[in-house]
Amino acid sequence: MPIGDVQPSVRPARAGRTDGAAGSAIRRPSARSRRTGVRAERFAPYVLVAPAVLIIVLLRLYPLLLGVNFSFTGDGERNGVAVGLDNYLELFRDPLFRTALGNVGLLVLLLPVAVAIPGLLATFIYLRVPGHRLYRGVYFFPAVLSPVIVGAIFNLLLAFDGPLNAVLGSVGVGPVDWLGDPDVAMFVVVGVHVWATFGMALVVFLAGFATLDAALLDAARVDGASLPQVIWHVIVPALSRTIQFVFVTTMIGMLTSMFGLLYVMTNGGPEGSTYLPEYYIWIQQGQLSRPALASAASTVLFVIMLVVGLLQITLLRRAGREDR
Amino acid sequence: MTRIRLGRWLVVIPMALLALATIYPLLFTANVAMKTRRDYILDRFSLTDALRWENIGTAWSSVGMGRYFVNSLLVVTSSVVLLLLFGSMAGFALSRLRFRGSRALFLGCLAGLFVPFQVIMVPLARIMADNGLIDTYPGLILVYVAQFLPFTVFLMTSYYRAIPTEIIDAARIDGNSVYGVYRRIMLPLGSPALLSVGILDALFCWNDVLMSLVMMPSADHRTLMVGVTSLRGQYSDDIPTFASGVLIAALPVLVVYLFLQRQIADGVAAGSTKG
Repeated sequence: MPIGDVQPSVRPARAGRTDGAAGSAIRRPSARSRRTGVRAERFAPYVLVAPAVLIIVLLRLYPLLLGVNFSFTGDGERNGVAVGLDNYLELFRDPLFRTALGNVGLLVLLLPVAVAIPGLLATFIYLRVPGHRLYRGVYFFPAVLSPVIVGAIFNLLLAFDGPLNAVLGSVGVGPVDWLGDPDVAMFVVVGVHVWATFGMALVVFLAGFATLDAALLDAARVDGASLPQVIWHVIVPALSRTIQFVFVTTMIGMLTSMFGLLYVMTNGGPEGSTYLPEYYIWIQQGQLSRPALASAASTVLFVIMLVVGLLQITLLRRAGREDR
Repeated sequence: MTRIRLGRWLVVIPMALLALATIYPLLFTANVAMKTRRDYILDRFSLTDALRWENIGTAWSSVGMGRYFVNSLLVVTSSVVLLLLFGSMAGFALSRLRFRGSRALFLGCLAGLFVPFQVIMVPLARIMADNGLIDTYPGLILVYVAQFLPFTVFLMTSYYRAIPTEIIDAARIDGNSVYGVYRRIMLPLGSPALLSVGILDALFCWNDVLMSLVMMPSADHRTLMVGVTSLRGQYSDDIPTFASGVLIAALPVLVVYLFLQRQIADGVAAGSTKG
């Protein structure tokens, strides 16, 4: 390159391309096309966001309003007639829906367990337990399987004449009707859900650990803190944001992604003991042709979700302030 | 941390047992799929004496899992292509272009994150039916795109925020239009994020059962996961074939996981840390 030949520091985009399509697009625009070009340029951002915004507004936000509106109208003969709070009154009189709400309460009670398990495991993996890489890969795997597949596999394992009862029988414990006993079934389904999803939370925790200052741990160790002390006094405070996030997402996951398990494992039975709001909505809409009642149940579920969601926004806000 | 001595076995043994409990159900299912019905009834646990692929063949052809598989593949690939296209377009504009209303539009997209399908199932099914989209491939694809677009836009936006504006300015000076910048700069630079988000979206769509149950009532439009749910009733007395059907549905996910585990984990981590 001769000295004095001024080279632009940025190569023309064309230079890096070998396909002819790109080459023709680069030209010196004439004055006229530049004027229309400027107008087109002004609209370009809107053109780029249009498909996403349209789809989200038309197929997410608008249906939400439609559904809330719908929950105040009647079903069947009273289709389209405003009926005030009738659907909601019927909803809270329905023992099945009450069971569903009761089960939501049960999920909230079990939530700390569902968060603590991946939290502890992530801690040990972060502290480089022997074989930690293998563990991470193995634990995360069920999280990418469909609830339907997980449910089908556990149908095999938990069948009354299935392997688990065979093992229990060999040590002298009578067979348990895992999915047929109303007192047991919901706990079994939640247990399977936790088994199948704790890998997701584990990965989130590990991402949180990546931001942890290792010096804190060293300092704690120099001071002679035991492992439980380190977890309680160093790790939990440092990861408070991650822990809160996992709490919220785990709760949302329990409320909105257990349908597959319920559908495959119990169908809401035995005796309606494994109903959750999402399953109730599906039954009322699809099987019993009560769309307006289903909409009311949807609205109740949304209110529950909204409380959780607002919690999440405030957490993210607060976390954002901590970062910067 | 090499100092944890005392409690080491208290940690290692449960973790190893849990790893076993995580993997065993799948191994058990794979083993059962290889057995004959008689073998399974006689002894559920014994290792299969041969690798019998005929159960898989039965599940694939006569149960119709093959047909469902193709349905799923069609719907999922179309959905992911649209998700990545619309998601990266919006992500680029919302993160790197200044225009009136961009903040409101971003929040509008984000609001979609808090609307689960269960909540809008009834009105959405009605909208789809009114437009003749129930029980059609485009209908289900549209439902999937709408479901996972907020997440995709969110992730692409936060990824593109890290790209220096100087690159875009330089490309503009070189005579590129905004669309040119998108096509020649943002798409290539976004490929790591597109890969992560694309795999996650594909998994979400592939694993879904509720949406396809509601949107695809007729049997020959069934997706693979709905196919798995219908196995139970038909093959309750033929467990090896049942297990084969489950295995067919799980295998693609297993393969994707083995090769792209890091990208999946990256996507999950990005979704959690980029608040």
